[in-house]
Amino acid sequence: MSNVELVSIIVFFLAFYALVTNRNIIRTIIFSSLMEVSVITFWLSIGFRERLNPPILYTMADYEHIYTADPVTQALMLTAVVIGIAVTAIKTIMFITLYRKYKTTDWDLARIRKTEG
Amino acid sequence: MTNQYIENLLFYFVVSPVIIAVILYLSGANRFTRIVALLAQSTLFYFTLQNFLYVSHTNNVISSPVGGYYGFMGIVLVADMLSSMFIMLTAFIFLIATFYSFSANHSPLFWLLKFLWQASLIGIFLSGDFFNIFVLTEIATIVVTVLIMYERKNRNMYDGMIYLVISTIIVNFFVFGVGYLYRMTGTLDISLVSERVRYLYTSDLILPYALIMTFVGLKCALMPMYSWLPKAHGSKGAPSSVSAILSGLHIKSGLYLFLRFSDVFQNGGIDGSQIFLVLGIITALAGVIFAVSQTDIKLMLAYSTIAQVGLILVGLSIGDIDGYNYVGGLFHIANHAIFKACLFLGAGIISHYYHTRESTQIRGVFFEMPAISIAMILALLGIIGTPLFNGSISKYFLMSGTGWDTNIILNIVNLGTIIICIKFSAIFFGKKPNIRKKPLDIMSHGVILLLGVMCFLMGILGIQTINFLFGYSVYVNIAGYTEKAIIFFVSLMAGYVIYKAFLTKEGPAMKWIRTSEMGFRGMCFSMVAFFAFILIAVGFYN
Repeated sequence: MSNVELVSIIVFFLAFYALVTNRNIIRTIIFSSLMEVSVITFWLSIGFRERLNPPILYTMADYEHIYTADPVTQALMLTAVVIGIAVTAIKTIMFITLYRKYKTTDWDLARIRKTEG
Repeated sequence: MTNQYIENLLFYFVVSPVIIAVILYLSGANRFTRIVALLAQSTLFYFTLQNFLYVSHTNNVISSPVGGYYGFMGIVLVADMLSSMFIMLTAFIFLIATFYSFSANHSPLFWLLKFLWQASLIGIFLSGDFFNIFVLTEIATIVVTVLIMYERKNRNMYDGMIYLVISTIIVNFFVFGVGYLYRMTGTLDISLVSERVRYLYTSDLILPYALIMTFVGLKCALMPMYSWLPKAHGSKGAPSSVSAILSGLHIKSGLYLFLRFSDVFQNGGIDGSQIFLVLGIITALAGVIFAVSQTDIKLMLAYSTIAQVGLILVGLSIGDIDGYNYVGGLFHIANHAIFKACLFLGAGIISHYYHTRESTQIRGVFFEMPAISIAMILALLGIIGTPLFNGSISKYFLMSGTGWDTNIILNIVNLGTIIICIKFSAIFFGKKPNIRKKPLDIMSHGVILLLGVMCFLMGILGIQTINFLFGYSVYVNIAGYTEKAIIFFVSLMAGYVIYKAFLTKEGPAMKWIRTSEMGFRGMCFSMVAFFAFILIAVGFYN
């Protein structure tokens, strides 16, 4: 188990701990994107060993004797990053609307104000 | 028809809804848009039917590489019998929903989202690799979030926010688990992974199994993680057709993923069927208890969905893949889609007519809307498993050959479902209200009636339907079925007595169950608890 992998697992569960213990909606958004980052780091650690080159084909002659990192994980995580940005943006916009309606950044208070109407 | 033709079709099943969605969005809110939407849905249903007939007739597994990258180099779409059935069901339910919302003048955004939703659901059902499932689930999550807050007047930001945040948190578990699988097998293709996991140690697969099954468990709304479902399915801001699709179809994507993934891990030597049997039973019992204590008609239906999903999960977990229980579970998926869609659409019309969703205030629907009432009563008879209706056939197979303990619990669940339906059916009777008549909308009434009649037909022709949809030839043991019918009538009477004796007035316990609501942190904690439970239980069993 490499160091990067270990760190990403620790960050994943720390972020989850923060989600369980926090009531603040903004922090929830931040920590859920932190979870995403830890997953992305984990994936990048899969395709990487030390002294590997980036997966770019310089010339055809290099093709034989250059060892590169796994390009699949990097391509997939590019997708994941883009999705993460979109989701975080939507969450933030929804939070703004929620704040205008309930005037709170607290999950529990928002729930109470919702049931009160 | 050739293999090549179907291979091309698979690609267009996913892409064409997206293209149509954009066209509809640009053409604006008018009659033309709705007619095009209807035509597009009909065409899609026709082609999915064609695909299904071909696949079930030839029994081929058709895999279509996207972009022409063969040999596990690229993304692949796979259509076997199960996924073909699911996309046919998708196209059917969406067609019904389009008919239903034809006369309501929705904005172009509504049609855009609906078609995108369909594309992502079909994509999930056809997807042959893990990563596509992640991407399409995220798309579906965003689309559903916007759709359940669609009606501006009474939208509920809190529920929408909870749904979005919970769904995007849980998807990280899935990607994490897939990362582990990718590291060990070097591929994302589901069929290739399920071959390669044979050569791995079972103990290595426990962590990815727990991560992925936590995701699937939330998508199926298993017990500690149920709390998002009534918020989404019973949302006040959602149009009824959206609730119907959510409850009839969207929840089935979780069950479909459960089938696929447990198949993959079964090859690696992990057998989670005992765990999911227990979880299914707990979910069914708790769903029934929650549903009985509700007074809102849509929430009653939403909680009853939880109970039914638990029941389906029990069927899918008992026995082997050729067993009758498994077939019963599969058939109950299709049946549940039909009757829950019918009930939600009907409840939408009723709540629109009466301007309320409280079941205590709605009375005399039967005299106001006889056609809808008959259709909904047929659907209710289906859901409680009245003999000759579709629910009875699927529940008969689902319970066949189970041990006495499971059998008793499942009969208790059915008794609970009967009580829910008796409570629900109170809205049909009583004094006729004094409401000004509204013009009759033939299309929405027509589709609800169609669904109601289908509940009856799928019961009478149950054996043939199972043979057509899943390719299993089964037979009903007359003695066993009669015994089941007797148990049903006894529990119907018991349910009526219990309802009259205890449930006509709301007690303090019921009020507490109805009003208590799990907060955001509670939901996060329930995810951790579920994850830890799966991890420990699988570690214990293997």
